[in-house]
Amino acid sequence: MAVDAFFEGLSIATTPEMLVWLTLGLLLGIVLGALPGIGSPVGMAIVLPLTLPLDATAAIILLVAIYSGAMFGGSISAILINAPGTESAAATTLDGYPMSQNGLAKNALAIATTASALNGFLAAIALIILSPVLIEVVLAFGSPEYFLLAILGISLITIVTQGSIVKGLVAGALGFMISTIGTAILSPRPRYTFGQFGLYEGIDFVAALIGMFAFAEMMKLAARKQISEDDVEIAGSVRDGITTIFKYPMTTLKSGLIGMGIGMVPGSGATTSTFVAYAEEARSSTKDGRFGEGDPRGVIAPEAANNPTVSGSLIPTLSFGIPGSGSTAVLLGGILMHGLQPGPVLFGEQLQITYALFISLFLGNVLILAVGLTLIPYASKITELDTTLIIPMVVVLSYAGAYTLNQNWWDVGAVIVLGVLGFYMVRNNYSIIAFVLGIVLGPIAEENFFRSLQISGGEYTIFFDPINRPLSFLLTLAIFLILFGPFLKGRVKRLVSRN
Amino acid sequence: MSNSESFKRKVTAERVMLVVFLVVSAVFILEPVIESYPDDARVFPQLTASAVFIGSLLLLLQNYLPGPLQKFVAESVSITTSDSSEVIDQVEEDDEPLEEVDEPEEEYKKETLGAKYGYEVNETVFMVSTAVLYFVVGWAAGFLFITPLYILGYTLWFRVNPVVSVGLAIGGTAVIYLFMTYLVLPFDQGHVFDFSPLVPMLFDGAPILLRGGL
Repeated sequence: MAVDAFFEGLSIATTPEMLVWLTLGLLLGIVLGALPGIGSPVGMAIVLPLTLPLDATAAIILLVAIYSGAMFGGSISAILINAPGTESAAATTLDGYPMSQNGLAKNALAIATTASALNGFLAAIALIILSPVLIEVVLAFGSPEYFLLAILGISLITIVTQGSIVKGLVAGALGFMISTIGTAILSPRPRYTFGQFGLYEGIDFVAALIGMFAFAEMMKLAARKQISEDDVEIAGSVRDGITTIFKYPMTTLKSGLIGMGIGMVPGSGATTSTFVAYAEEARSSTKDGRFGEGDPRGVIAPEAANNPTVSGSLIPTLSFGIPGSGSTAVLLGGILMHGLQPGPVLFGEQLQITYALFISLFLGNVLILAVGLTLIPYASKITELDTTLIIPMVVVLSYAGAYTLNQNWWDVGAVIVLGVLGFYMVRNNYSIIAFVLGIVLGPIAEENFFRSLQISGGEYTIFFDPINRPLSFLLTLAIFLILFGPFLKGRVKRLVSRN
Repeated sequence: MSNSESFKRKVTAERVMLVVFLVVSAVFILEPVIESYPDDARVFPQLTASAVFIGSLLLLLQNYLPGPLQKFVAESVSITTSDSSEVIDQVEEDDEPLEEVDEPEEEYKKETLGAKYGYEVNETVFMVSTAVLYFVVGWAAGFLFITPLYILGYTLWFRVNPVVSVGLAIGGTAVIYLFMTYLVLPFDQGHVFDFSPLVPMLFDGAPILLRGGL
């Protein structure tokens, strides 16, 4: 079955139409990724409603291509102007910008392009090989497990984002709460609509994504002037940059594995993986490293880790509906908007779509290499844009996109309200990823919560019964340990040292 | 410090946000009781609203909570934290009142039209106010007609080259027009004013006018 689905996926991914969407997405992603303050979640959120007329596979391929392209695009501004286009490119600034100042901007950009594409390419192959194992795991999950997974995802995000646990939980629960506005899932009863017909369908989660990512980001960007304050000169050699990658094969491979491994952890993203890869490289090269002064390994490590993180993060997103980052949260929104269900369906009857996606990722990395290396001499142009020109266009697109979803003005209003909320949540260290995850997963969590209670006859023990539902028990235990583990660990340690 | 200064210091954006969370979650808890929602429409939103209410209350009152609970609420942990006791010690030392944590990013003072006439407006406040105005007037009179005015107004306020402003306004209007045409959206119709009869004259008639009229 998997082999048939693979070949069907291959034929879908290589149709001229899909290749056009893939190329378009990559180009758009590279440009959006290179604009500090825009990045992949914002770009994907704006494009998401525009994919409505598209076929589901084409839409998802377009979104993944934007995500993948932005991962590379983010490194352009990180290297040239010391302002990472995406959070994941922050680690690249540490040595990329010094290389640029040392007259090696082309080398650094070529290293970033090659490392990003090469490892993205390898990670896509690994993803295809791993799929049969994932299918078995996914099929073992039932309603209680899916509900608990949503809670586990929010708990993990709370921990990974390194903030207060309570703040993370409030953000996630708020997202769940807002998702309940509108007609109830299991009965035709309108909830919290206060007589407003426009609220009967609830707040569309895509409008929420546009608000939380695009509008909130524009509020931040409003206080900035031009993305680059200085004239940027690009010097160095592309060829030398490419050959540098092959001088350090272990760095490339090791960073790729770190990227993919961390990407698989729900709640972690490329920001974590790139810094871990950079730190590991700096640790293991203490003898001859000149990290922070323009060491090429300082560019290879984060860039070799970022695209494998995309592949890794697709695993929890597609298999359990738990996104690893803002971008995968938007991607999950796209998957649900087009009527696809993460989990058993995407790894069962719609396996060919999943394979088409993985194959597109593989092809996309080949394109990144070609497009990226061609773009290098013109890369600085992107960073010269004035934010004053970007903001009104993003606002216009956000409103038009939100209205397109249901032709409902409440969705446009939600963009503004949730945008302002997102701005203040970020300023005060509340995880907007947890909030967005709550909104996106709210209906799935509620449905599975009720189904579980129906199965158990209203008994909540179904969520922690070690005999009949060992998987549920393990998930509940994991949630408990994640939330209270660090707190209890300190107590236990003190108790032991006292004794 | 006077009473009003002390009050202003305590009213931070985060505290206001938490009070809003408290009020909204209270509504989510009470509304199903008042309106007699059935169980399958009531339990999940009430559970999640209760979590928001309790969490917001704990965060709001964290400086007045008893020791262990305060540590749990204020504690900042991650799976990469090797020793949580360090974190707890850190929390013990940290008795600062709840305040905004994020310092504004490196901000530039933009040259604005208002500044020329002595009106200083914060860029973020201006961005949000104009966006809200664009939404309200767009709803009332139709996005198609308001979009060029919004883009022109926003860019000219920040002293963008007028030629670039006009180009951007045309681009933005073209985007709305494409949405209207291809996705069949009523962006030419407002809920208060209806300028839709102008559309054939402005758009379909434009090529005719450019060729020298009828």
